Amino acid sequence: MKSLTITRLQKTYFDPFAAKQVTAIRDISLAVDAGDFVSVVGPSGCGKTTLLNTIAGFLAPTAGAIHVDGHAVSGPGPDRGVVFQSFALFPWRTVLDNVAFGPKMRGVPKARRHEIAREYLALAGLSHAAERYPNELSGGMQQRVGVVRALANEPDVLLMDEPFASVDAQTRMTLQEELTRIWEQRRCTVLFITHDVNEAVFLSNRVIVLSHGALLDDIAVDLPRPRAWDALIESAAFKVLTARVLQQVRAA
Amino acid sequence: MNSVAIAVSPWQRVWSAYVRSTTRHPALASLVPFVPVVALWAVVARSGLFPPAFFPGPGEVVQKFFTLMANGILPAYLEDSVIRLAAGTAVGLAIGIPLGLLVGLSDRAHRALWPVLLFFQAIGDIAWLPILLIWFGFGLTTMIFVIVYTVLFPVVLNTVLGVRSVPLELHRAALSLGASKARVVWEVVLPGALPNIMTGLRNGLGFGWRALIAAEIIVGTSGIGFLMFDARRAGSVVEILLGMIVLGVLWYVVDSWVLAPIERATGERWGLVHR
Repeated sequence: MKSLTITRLQKTYFDPFAAKQVTAIRDISLAVDAGDFVSVVGPSGCGKTTLLNTIAGFLAPTAGAIHVDGHAVSGPGPDRGVVFQSFALFPWRTVLDNVAFGPKMRGVPKARRHEIAREYLALAGLSHAAERYPNELSGGMQQRVGVVRALANEPDVLLMDEPFASVDAQTRMTLQEELTRIWEQRRCTVLFITHDVNEAVFLSNRVIVLSHGALLDDIAVDLPRPRAWDALIESAAFKVLTARVLQQVRAA
Repeated sequence: MNSVAIAVSPWQRVWSAYVRSTTRHPALASLVPFVPVVALWAVVARSGLFPPAFFPGPGEVVQKFFTLMANGILPAYLEDSVIRLAAGTAVGLAIGIPLGLLVGLSDRAHRALWPVLLFFQAIGDIAWLPILLIWFGFGLTTMIFVIVYTVLFPVVLNTVLGVRSVPLELHRAALSLGASKARVVWEVVLPGALPNIMTGLRNGLGFGWRALIAAEIIVGTSGIGFLMFDARRAGSVVEILLGMIVLGVLWYVVDSWVLAPIERATGERWGLVHR
């Protein structure tokens, strides 16, 4: 079953200063199976963030269509959860109320939505931080909340925009392992944008390489699960795959 | 590990005692800084440098305070001034915050209204008095108009700034979690703009308070401004000084009992404002 279908997507911007159209997405078609974990990699300016923003409904496509579970996308909606590079937590809400925000918008009563939020916070080992405000947490903890907030709304597709790019290297590896563990348990559909080739291979079942707003390559990652850095970092299969992806990204 | 003992100086002892006692009794921290001011005032008044009728000392002002409290004039005037300020501020906020949200959120409204707002902001509160006196006469309407006008602009302009300072990502996050556009205004824009709205309120209240005194001096039939101007007619410097002190004390009270606690509970708590 396809969860996310992108058909001949195109996105151009008008640059009023240069008085010309700038192409961000030339022509992308892509289908993501339900329960799959797909990464999109590519150099800066290849259109990967524009792709995510268009799927999320933050930007309207110039041409083409996006369908989530058969429904055409025409703006932001709770069927597509988004995890932002800048975390985008609400500073005036406690961690618990940040996670309960989606259910609140659905009209779930307070006691029930707090129950849901606590369940999801426990999933990421954040139960102790429920009553704190985001600014009291480290970057890694904030992004755990960001992921859990998106998951608690039970979206059909989880869109992640370089979510671990602004945390330190050690925390990033921990977050990657936690995300893998959560995904292996829940099998949600994920589209993950990153420029980090190791991260893409580590997390994904499939890695898409973008170049100048078009699909350059589509690489299956058949590494065994559960995955952990200690084992994979030495694995020959992992090295072969990352080398191949890296080669494509550098050629892009 | 060896450590070199550094003796604590007497000044450090005094400072330590001050810090500890003001932490235990916060009211002390507000009062102690005025001790030298009042002392200086008393010394100058006592020195005979100026005639006592022109430059009375603190004792006479305190005496006057009790007289005016006892005969009910000061409480009545204070009440009039505070009610005018509160009513004017409430109306100013009720118009200013929605207007600020509109101008901050809509590009069209911003284009259409911003130059007009800047224009009218420049025509300061009391510059309106001549025409208001012709339109509404010497009365409450004129005074409320002046206060609303004065409070309105800092609130509107700061709300616009606040609305525009809310990161785009927070709008997007809320929409992706299922919030409608109206909910985004309530759940994201308003709390995100709150620290700026508080700044606007603080400036508005400060200007409004000044405008009120000016309006009471010109329009007045009651109020602290009227008290001071009336005292001028009677040549009572004591009452004028008392009026000035009341203004200062009242502002201090509003700031530390109303505005500062709100700011501590919101922007500072959320990490949006750093002290």
